[in-house]
Amino acid sequence: MPQIGSFALLLALCLSAYSFVAGILALAFPGRGSERLGETARRAGIASFAVVFLAALVLVVAAFTDDFSIAYIFHHSNRDLPAPYKFATLWSGQEGSLLFWSLLLAAYGLVLRLRHKTDNRLFAYASMIIAAVQVFFLLLLNFAAHPFAIMQGSRPADGSGLNPLLQYPEMVIHPPMLYLGYVGFTVPFAFALGALIMKYPGEKWIHITRRWTMITWGFLTCGVFLGAHWAYSVLGWGGYWGWDPVENASLMPWLTGTAFLHSVMMQEKRGMLKTWNMWLIFSTFMLSIFGTFLTRSGVVSSVHAFAQSSIGTWFVIFLAVIFAACLAFYIKNRSHLRSEHKLESLVSRESSFLFNNLLLLVACFTVLWGTLFPVLSEWVQGNKVTVGPPFFNRVNVPVALLLLLLTAVGPLLAWRKTSIESLKRNFLWPALGAFAAGVLLISFGIRPWRDVSYLYSLMTIMLSVLVGLTVISEFVRGGRVIARHTGQNLLASMVQLGHRNTRRYGGYIVHFGVIVIMIGFAGAAFNQDKEQEMGYGEKLNIATYTLVCRSYTQDDNPNYESEWAVMDVFKGGKQIATMNPERRFYKASQQMATMVANRSTLKEDLYLVYEGLNQDTGRPIIKAHLNPLVLWIWIGVWIMIVGTIVALLPNAVPVRVPAPARIHAAAPVGAGD
Amino acid sequence: MIWLICALVTASVLLYVFYLPGKLQLGPEKTRLGYLRERREAVYENLRDLNFEYKAGKFPDADYQSMKLSLEEEAAGILAEIARLEEAARLHRIGRGAV
Amino acid sequence: MFHSRSLAKLGLLSITVMLLLSAGDDARFYQLGHKLMCVCSCNQVLLECNHVGCTYSDRMRAELAANLERGDSDDLTLQAFVQKYGPTVLIAPTSTGFNRVAWIMPYLALTLGIATVVLIVRAWKNRPVPVSPGRVAPVTGGELERFREQARRDTAI
Repeated sequence: MPQIGSFALLLALCLSAYSFVAGILALAFPGRGSERLGETARRAGIASFAVVFLAALVLVVAAFTDDFSIAYIFHHSNRDLPAPYKFATLWSGQEGSLLFWSLLLAAYGLVLRLRHKTDNRLFAYASMIIAAVQVFFLLLLNFAAHPFAIMQGSRPADGSGLNPLLQYPEMVIHPPMLYLGYVGFTVPFAFALGALIMKYPGEKWIHITRRWTMITWGFLTCGVFLGAHWAYSVLGWGGYWGWDPVENASLMPWLTGTAFLHSVMMQEKRGMLKTWNMWLIFSTFMLSIFGTFLTRSGVVSSVHAFAQSSIGTWFVIFLAVIFAACLAFYIKNRSHLRSEHKLESLVSRESSFLFNNLLLLVACFTVLWGTLFPVLSEWVQGNKVTVGPPFFNRVNVPVALLLLLLTAVGPLLAWRKTSIESLKRNFLWPALGAFAAGVLLISFGIRPWRDVSYLYSLMTIMLSVLVGLTVISEFVRGGRVIARHTGQNLLASMVQLGHRNTRRYGGYIVHFGVIVIMIGFAGAAFNQDKEQEMGYGEKLNIATYTLVCRSYTQDDNPNYESEWAVMDVFKGGKQIATMNPERRFYKASQQMATMVANRSTLKEDLYLVYEGLNQDTGRPIIKAHLNPLVLWIWIGVWIMIVGTIVALLPNAVPVRVPAPARIHAAAPVGAGD
Repeated sequence: MIWLICALVTASVLLYVFYLPGKLQLGPEKTRLGYLRERREAVYENLRDLNFEYKAGKFPDADYQSMKLSLEEEAAGILAEIARLEEAARLHRIGRGAV
Repeated sequence: MFHSRSLAKLGLLSITVMLLLSAGDDARFYQLGHKLMCVCSCNQVLLECNHVGCTYSDRMRAELAANLERGDSDDLTLQAFVQKYGPTVLIAPTSTGFNRVAWIMPYLALTLGIATVVLIVRAWKNRPVPVSPGRVAPVTGGELERFREQARRDTAI
């Protein structure tokens, strides 16, 4: 079996290399036969998907059949591992995840190559660039991180198991989501670079890649937040985001990707910012490669600590090659990227997009800087320093607040220029609403002058209310126009409004999700925790809750041993729940894992961690966290997903342009974008 | 057995990639006319957005009129060129038909 | 079973430590404990490290408590930790020497960024309408009116 996998990887490399070279030749020497050559290049790309798929299949089958002669399976699986985690073996280690990367890339490439008739030449360029990226990953797989390497010596009886931290349902889907996001940015990147190389006339390439970018962005969003949710549920320190290098690695392309999603609208609508967008998508792609490099090379230490290996050099070279290629074609064809319009006012949608981009990029830079500073410090002053959460929070929280403000203001500004009167018209009510929310919060006992974190919380909630109200006012205003035309009620009109311009109103729903998440983040300023040793019947008080330890016990199964406590939760003298914080010891990997017990409500999470047994007394030590508003974060993520899906739907009324001859032809009602 | 599978995979892949009977099915090449129609769509969309937002009460009259005017000017330029190209294409067709 | 001695000590220690410290020290313990990292490579804040069998966090917490009890100032306490565990024990770069660069750069980026955007906007406002590739020539006179009318018709609501 492993031989088939190795062979498939080699064949995939040959096919991708052929697709790349033949693709270049066909595009560089147009003439007789070049079309047929180009077609073979396209087909080789398609075939590479089938072959990479075969390799991945071999690896998964090997995991399920416990083929420990393959070193990768030995290191990342064991006989008693439950089936879903055996499947997840494909992405739980270095070699497997690189294979998975290649598989997803080939899959995206497949879809792209099958749709080539939309614009043959542009797609040929994109396919050629994707083939180049495929070649890199397949070179890695074949020569630096071979997933089918055979164990030395005799075949082991059992594997050393999957890292217990990863034995959690979300871990089965978190890496694929994140990878779909990382890998997906290759597609808009390939189109952008292709359009630049061929001096593609017009902005159609943005139109073509719009859905790709949104889908990719949606996957990356899911991946980032699944990671946060996993950290919250598994790492057991009571938080969801620790500014760990690996978390940062996923956040950076998300930030630039978000900037790109916004600023391409300037190009589509106004033919502006072409150079900027080009570099934005170049950087996003490079950051996603860089993210893979960070997680895979062990340059910076991290809880995830996936790997310490030599593949780092490969990535550095690859990044340098990408950068050189982008720069070379930019310099050669930069005249093609000239803007079609001039900017008319500082108070306009255009400049709000500029500032939005600026802030997202500053946030991205801060994350990058903080992640790499330890390495830089070691280089400059000879010793490493730690750049922990306080650094990132101090810089990024104000930036996030400014971004929230722009989220509120941006959609209300007109393209080109906005007069003071129109600002007043659109802003008065939302601003009053936000102000009222602030007063209400202070009257409820939030004291922003006591601590800067309270001030930030208050501002976050006020700005979120501001964004929420502007989003609602957009829906209501638009809905009213439709209601006037069709005579429907307002709600039906608003649904129809969303249908007519899914991208715009889907985007608003995403904004709404963002503010719900922000409110969830704001809750963190009011976190509490308490740690106590708990004997039978002992009590622990935290805020309005009283925890009583009813019992504690142990258990054993083939995969792990466990210890847990049974805690009765009382509030106001009434029992409201029973919770079981647990700690597991995984036998194959000889590692511990925490199973947090969490009681989540809209108001707060009661989050219990079983810290261990006190050897001397034989009693468990329990740590209780009270984390306000955390549930809002996960709800907000769902809203963002819904918004992204809405934005992906086709518009209900396609924009038709009546034939010029039909003088009285009625044009459809357009909804703004 | 393993060699057989590998050989089969290679053979089918090579067949798929290099066996291209008949004429290739390719999409149309992009022309100036196609480009202009895309541009027209973009400007029209902007104009419709503007009209819609105006009806929704987002802009004062003066803002609306000036923005509308400049967008319409832009649209007019594109429409004029489309008309010229379409006319030329029509004449070309008629010319060829006559021969 | 998997009882860990150090863990047992951890619980006991932190609890006794809590009992020993006065209320004011308690707040300082919490505050300073959040300025230090656990050095066991778990990459967590000292007071949040709950990693089983951690051979460092219990000891470090005890040291922190001892320092506070001795009446050391915050600076002195943190300095003692740096002496013993190296500079990575501090959770964020200090504001001295090269470490200052860590703090300055993001703000510098923000300031430069804002300045650039404002300059760009002003420059773009004043420049003539750029000539871009594929540009459509403007029309005038009767032709303009005719096609403008067409555009109006096509996009009317």
